[in-house]
Amino acid sequence: MADVKSLEHPTLKVPYEILNKKFRTAQKTIDREVSHVQQQATLIEETLQQSEVKAKDISSLLGGMVEKLQVLKRKAEESIAEELVASNVCKRRLDHLKEHNTVTPMGTVSQAALNQWRRKRLDRMVVEYFLRNGYYNAAITLADRSDIKDLTNIDIFLTSREVEKSLANKETSKCLTWCHDNKHKLRKLKSNMEFNLRVQEFVELVRSDQRMDAIKHARKHFPGFEEEHLSTIKQVMALLAFPITTDIIPYKSLLDERRWDTLIEQFRQENYRLFQLASQSVFTVALQAGLSALKTPYPFLYYKLKEHTKFVKISLIQCNQCYSETGENRNPTCPVCQPYLNELADCLPFAHCSQSRLYCHISGLPMNENNQPMMLPNGHIYGEQALTEMARQNNGQVICPKTKEIFPFKKVEKVFVM
Amino acid sequence: MEACTAVEKEIDKVCSKFGNINDHAKRVLSDLVKQMQNLKDEYENSDSEHVLTDIQIDILKQNMFKIKETISKLASDHRDLHGTVSKVGKAIDRNFISDFAATTREEIFNMPEKVNLINKVICEHFYRQGLHDVADELARESDLTPEPHEKEPFTEINHILESLKVKDLEPALAWATVHHDSLEAQNSSLEFMLHRLKFIEVLRKGSTHQTDAICYARLHFRKFVHRHEKEIQTLMGMLLYVPNGINSSPYSCLLDSELWIEISELFLREACQLLGVCVNSPLTTCVNAGCTAIPALLNIKQVMMQRQVSGIWNGKDELPIEIDLGNENKYHSMFACPILRQQSTIFNPPMRLICGHVISRDALNKLCSGNKFQLTFFRMKCPYCPVEQTPSEARLIYF
Repeated sequence: MADVKSLEHPTLKVPYEILNKKFRTAQKTIDREVSHVQQQATLIEETLQQSEVKAKDISSLLGGMVEKLQVLKRKAEESIAEELVASNVCKRRLDHLKEHNTVTPMGTVSQAALNQWRRKRLDRMVVEYFLRNGYYNAAITLADRSDIKDLTNIDIFLTSREVEKSLANKETSKCLTWCHDNKHKLRKLKSNMEFNLRVQEFVELVRSDQRMDAIKHARKHFPGFEEEHLSTIKQVMALLAFPITTDIIPYKSLLDERRWDTLIEQFRQENYRLFQLASQSVFTVALQAGLSALKTPYPFLYYKLKEHTKFVKISLIQCNQCYSETGENRNPTCPVCQPYLNELADCLPFAHCSQSRLYCHISGLPMNENNQPMMLPNGHIYGEQALTEMARQNNGQVICPKTKEIFPFKKVEKVFVM
Repeated sequence: MEACTAVEKEIDKVCSKFGNINDHAKRVLSDLVKQMQNLKDEYENSDSEHVLTDIQIDILKQNMFKIKETISKLASDHRDLHGTVSKVGKAIDRNFISDFAATTREEIFNMPEKVNLINKVICEHFYRQGLHDVADELARESDLTPEPHEKEPFTEINHILESLKVKDLEPALAWATVHHDSLEAQNSSLEFMLHRLKFIEVLRKGSTHQTDAICYARLHFRKFVHRHEKEIQTLMGMLLYVPNGINSSPYSCLLDSELWIEISELFLREACQLLGVCVNSPLTTCVNAGCTAIPALLNIKQVMMQRQVSGIWNGKDELPIEIDLGNENKYHSMFACPILRQQSTIFNPPMRLICGHVISRDALNKLCSGNKFQLTFFRMKCPYCPVEQTPSEARLIYF
């Protein structure tokens, strides 16, 4: 259960943030409609204050009242329904997390259910990784195939894809709408996204040589940011004095086209922060930890066969992990021995080991009191069972599988590993 | 589990409160609409030049007052829900760890070539799992050149798993019949389990189908008697309770849907064994190992922060603690010196003393330190037995 606690925070936090946002908009809508009804009520009250109130006036006023009340009713129902949908998403995800330990009728935790849950978790993680890297179609296909659309945050990433696309096309309007929608939260996060967009708009106006429009734009939008960004505003305004081909440093960089890419990157990060997503995906975090936990430094020596059976120790080469280029100690079932994962694991830390655990290279069985480790005269260690079996088949001779040397079985010696 | 339950409690509260306010708003507002409609109709029907009497004015004033009060209460009721909603967020923050990435180094997997490698790994994973469309889509979107891969065995397995998910046993039974001999050789109980489930499904249909069930049992169970006698007896026992419903009998646990999950797993395992492939892809194994490792790593990190020794672990050479991944995830021999409790490295390899005990070279050097001048003549005692030897007699070994 510890893994759920440490890894599933974003799974729940994102739908919560959506619920919270829905709540705010609902409250706003209800407040607005309520105030409309109240205005109408005040209007009726004022009319009633006058002397000689006529029935036809009052009935038309009452008609307006009925209309406004109906609007209020409809909007309130719609908003609350949306809130319910959002909270049900949270609930569904919780239910999924609880499947982690499904209890069998016998009262034990079901291993089969846990295995299936883990496969689903991997798919969820991969979908999130895809989304963060912009592989939207792959993400959608996978979510469809393993039926986990509800459990992933595809929707919010699809909205952000629209914004990113428009920024890539050098349009600011979509991103500004996004800023406006999330104004409250962004202010809390002290985001300067909107300011950067306005600056970019200004720069674009200067670039297209509409300097008067640029000044108008600045007058309209910059004063709101005066307090925090005064020095930047000054610098940006000075741009008016320079030609667009200028080589002077701060102004040249302002006119750099690559600023758009920075904006996209900033938008991504702000969007993650908005939904309290970490800057890394759970998938890469888990992959990194997993590779480390599986990565072993053994073996660190290798020999090369030379001139038939005579072998020469050519060099001591520190092999980075699990197996070296020769593939000599490769274990086909070990994940870190797979070529790509091996490369990925290259710069990661090793697993910690304070207690020896030995496996026979020939049989793959653990070496312990039932399968004593035995040393060949060349210093290589194999399990007793495998060597006995080999000696039986080879007239009492054993062949070292790594160096191909042949030894009589009686020269094999016991090794004690504490 | 408590973490989930705590959050669930809050979510349930939110759901029920939203439900309540929804019903309440609907009722109150439709009442108001009806009242106003009635009033309006009343005045519309009266003479249009009619001047309102004092009583009528009073009634209207009261009504307006009531509307104002009701709707402002409605708005404030809704606003009060904010507390309940934000409690969910707090419960999530309290019970789940937001900073799960604390123990990883972000820059490692950020480089384009690493991202490329990760994509290749994921691609291989999905080809292996038979999800070709996902892999193809990924290859296209991430500009990977698709590598040639043989038709993977998982396509058929996936098809059977899909049908097991919708409780269709036929494809699995057909598969098991085709592979009867090899399954028998593996000593697998898969085929019997499938027939058993089929039998239970027939019985579940009620007493009208009991003859079918008996026929099915006669036809299929005979060949399993030598290995599953006890279970067949249990299954036959179920027949006793068919008229009164098996649900209330001692056999009710055989109706649990858990059996379906188990049969899928069993099938997957047996099929993979038959084909000689691992159940889990390398990626699956890695990520599962990671999910086991992260809670432990986060714990140790926290302890280190508290003791202010965080500088010791830079996350570069070795994890600070041993992660227990269970027996199936151990692939290579590891030697840790029993004296220094350190993993051996190229600079500190394992040495076998003549008595057969293995210690690391550093430990050996420490045992003879102080006698440097006569290293060749100095006789040291094995730390584990009475045998004496000179340090030079120890020899390097390779696991």
